[in-house]
Amino acid sequence: MAVKRLQNYINGEWVDAQTDEYVEIINPARMELLCECPMSTKADLDAAVEGAVEAYSDWRNTPPVARARYLHRLIELMEDKFNELSVVQTREHGKTIDESRGETRRGIEMVEVASGIPTTMQGFNLEDIAHGIDEYAIYQPLGVFCCIAPFNFPFMVPLWFLPFAIATGNTFIVKPSPRTPMSQCELFDMLDEIGLPPGVVNMVHGGAEIANGLMEHPDIKGVTFVGSTPVGRHVYKKCGETGKRVIAQAGAKNFIVIMPDAEIDKAMVSLMSSFFGNTGQRCLSGANLLVVGDDKRYREVVDKFVSAAKAIRVGDGLDESVQMGPVQNVESKQRIIGMIEKGIEEGAKLTLDGRKLNLVGDVPEDCFLNPSVFENVTLDMTIAREEIFGPVASILRAGDLDEAIDMIHQIPYGNSAAIFTNNGKWARQFQHDVVAGNVGINVGIVAPMAFFPFGGMKDSFFGVLHGQGRDVVRFFTESKIVIQRWF
Amino acid sequence: MAAVMTFISKVEEDSAGFYERCAERFPELREEFLSWSKENRKFEKNIKRTYYGVITDTIESNFSFEGLDTQDYEFDTELPQDADSSVVKKKTEEIERKIKEFYLKAAELSEGLLADIPRVLRKIAKKREGRNLLA
Repeated sequence: MAVKRLQNYINGEWVDAQTDEYVEIINPARMELLCECPMSTKADLDAAVEGAVEAYSDWRNTPPVARARYLHRLIELMEDKFNELSVVQTREHGKTIDESRGETRRGIEMVEVASGIPTTMQGFNLEDIAHGIDEYAIYQPLGVFCCIAPFNFPFMVPLWFLPFAIATGNTFIVKPSPRTPMSQCELFDMLDEIGLPPGVVNMVHGGAEIANGLMEHPDIKGVTFVGSTPVGRHVYKKCGETGKRVIAQAGAKNFIVIMPDAEIDKAMVSLMSSFFGNTGQRCLSGANLLVVGDDKRYREVVDKFVSAAKAIRVGDGLDESVQMGPVQNVESKQRIIGMIEKGIEEGAKLTLDGRKLNLVGDVPEDCFLNPSVFENVTLDMTIAREEIFGPVASILRAGDLDEAIDMIHQIPYGNSAAIFTNNGKWARQFQHDVVAGNVGINVGIVAPMAFFPFGGMKDSFFGVLHGQGRDVVRFFTESKIVIQRWF
Repeated sequence: MAAVMTFISKVEEDSAGFYERCAERFPELREEFLSWSKENRKFEKNIKRTYYGVITDTIESNFSFEGLDTQDYEFDTELPQDADSSVVKKKTEEIERKIKEFYLKAAELSEGLLADIPRVLRKIAKKREGRNLLA
């Protein structure tokens, strides 16, 4: 049977890419071929931009309340297809079915919040700035925006931007990750079904050529990106050169601080989810567990953490009893194994070795790893400083909270940081002092809801305004000030 | 984990089916059994609505029910041909007790990560307290 070849969605039509180059999309849990993804060309990209530019003038003049109604219809379709959408994510990415459901839910929440645009896009005014003269601010769309999406949340991440962009009156182009492009095809099927005018939303599959083309294209007003720090820095620089707005959400090395009074048994479920959820492949994952306390407390925390990590059931994410799926591809697994070897070389103690596989069911081993835990990790080690993006936890120690915060600040990233404690003073100090965009207090994964901006500081973020919430509405709009008087 | 939700569907469906069969066999308890059956299906919907409404990439449930063995809470819904109403009342009491214990345990285990799920599970366990044909 012929393998399905994915198409681009340009100007309201599903069309074949103008290329002969395709990459295979493999289910990492089963190593089965799912489909082929085109590596589109500049001609495909130009067609998408042209369609988006043409659609813009009518779309920006469509009343916000009418634009929002399209999103209401999209929400209904997403709810109807909730499980179907989740299964696609699990098959192309490997994450567990509940993780996919969580991703689908978060995606729906984005559309729900964006559909409030008649309220959130409102400007402000002041009557009588001088006698008989009024001043007001209005927010207007800018044109064509785009999203360069990552592989780890293939359905959700473009929804951090797309619904807000079109709700504010812009038109939009998504370039899905060429590793996990299928979820976006599902989304665009629904966008097609709700009957948006041609060109308002477009999707072009591809790799670096398309990404660079989006950053360079003179008709694109802004770029949203989620991915690694080196690429995020490149996107920021390139968009600066071409005068585009940019949100570049980048890599991370997140710390979780366990204070001596933390309720470790209650925290454990949150810690497992943080370190090993999504197989560690997310920018909000816990990476460094920083234990504050004496030797006895340290041992207690480490033993419980290792024991819980060891018990995690690893297998095909479609098996409902499984708690952790494979990493997304064979290359990722090899890279993660390389980091584990580096940790051993640099003197850390590998207390739990996830390279020794213990899998649920009869699955090929190619992309699987069990959780790994390192002890005796110090800040100078590669595994403490660099993003591993896999199921590997590093445990470090600090004498007190001040030292813990100081250690966090020695790492170039600042995506998220969390503290587990029952002490309000410590929690307040942590929240106040720590340089991280998303702060958790007794919460392991600090993922902001759709109505709050997704923070990120230092090398974890390049830009000014963040994704989601009020920030992203401002990002997709230009403020215009009007001062008026009548004679 | 998702398997727990599948188990919740099973216990509510199985017990609802059991009560419907009992309603046919024991006319004197028909009304009670039919209302319980209807309520069980509402409970299932309520839990699922809550579950699928709150799981996100933050509040996912993969690790939420760690240590919960659903086998401990399985029950059979067979009734002997010659069973009289005292047998069915006892059976009903056993089923309800198992389901209640299951919900309370699931609530306890999930409160470290989830917030709405343990709340709805406890609420439904409490509602079941009123079901007692032996009193």
